[in-house]
Amino acid sequence: MTDEEALITASKRGDTAALDALVRAHQDRVYAFAMRMCRNVEDAKDILQETFLGMVRSVREFREESKFTTWLYRIASNACLKKRRRGVHDPSPDQELSLDELMPRPDSDGRKPEIADWSEDAEQALLRGELSQRMEAAIDKLPREYKIVLVLRDVEGLSAEETAQAVGLSVAAVKSRLHRARVFVRRELAEYFEGRGKSSAGNNPDDRRSRESNPRVLDQNR
Amino acid sequence: MTCRELFERLSEYVDGELSQEICEEIRKHMNGCDPCVHFAKTLKTTADLCRRLPSTPIPPEVAADLRALLSAHLPKPK
Repeated sequence: MTDEEALITASKRGDTAALDALVRAHQDRVYAFAMRMCRNVEDAKDILQETFLGMVRSVREFREESKFTTWLYRIASNACLKKRRRGVHDPSPDQELSLDELMPRPDSDGRKPEIADWSEDAEQALLRGELSQRMEAAIDKLPREYKIVLVLRDVEGLSAEETAQAVGLSVAAVKSRLHRARVFVRRELAEYFEGRGKSSAGNNPDDRRSRESNPRVLDQNR
Repeated sequence: MTCRELFERLSEYVDGELSQEICEEIRKHMNGCDPCVHFAKTLKTTADLCRRLPSTPIPPEVAADLRALLSAHLPKPK
């Protein structure tokens, strides 16, 4: 039995010290997740409190069918989505992300779009501390149902199966939302790196939209 | 495989979730398609960068408020 399993077993018996140890072990993770989802301390605090009150009240019902962290993420995810439904805080519009709209399309002559490889630049920009804010802003633009999947899967590092358990979706639905969310964030970053390239040569605001972002299909016949 | 078919499966590809046959088809396509190669590379970079975003640490007063709230709800020691 791991230390955590021992704490869970003791918590189910009502052991206060064990419950407190479980809270301390997971509070940073839950708070970071809540902050990423809500972007303000008050809402994140509400979600943190709701999550751990939920944990204290229902730890006896935890059946070890999932990891304990996944179970906590499930409570926290419900709290985040409930907050949205209450209309308390929702920076993201409710919209579907369409792959057709997100796929780069050919130019007016039918040539394939130019797709720059900025992966090395991104690495350098991250090291210089320039990229985090830009990425956070891109993630914030995602509709809430996509954002939660990307945050759980790519930021928090849950597997597709764990993410599916946390948000109550099928694994296939998680993969579909994750792909759209990633493509969306990638496009925001592409605009950033292309914009930086152009800004040194004088940037026309009308050109700032990426060449990739033309919302038609890339190549239907290839 | 078309660019569009490849585009739909790229996240599964970079996550290593596709069968060997499909991966082989994707690699064959990419062999002659730079835009798809660059798209796949930057999509993978995007996912990798997410994992490295800094987390907000819990402020001490938020942790203290949580502890105070929970202590009112924790079972009383016998």
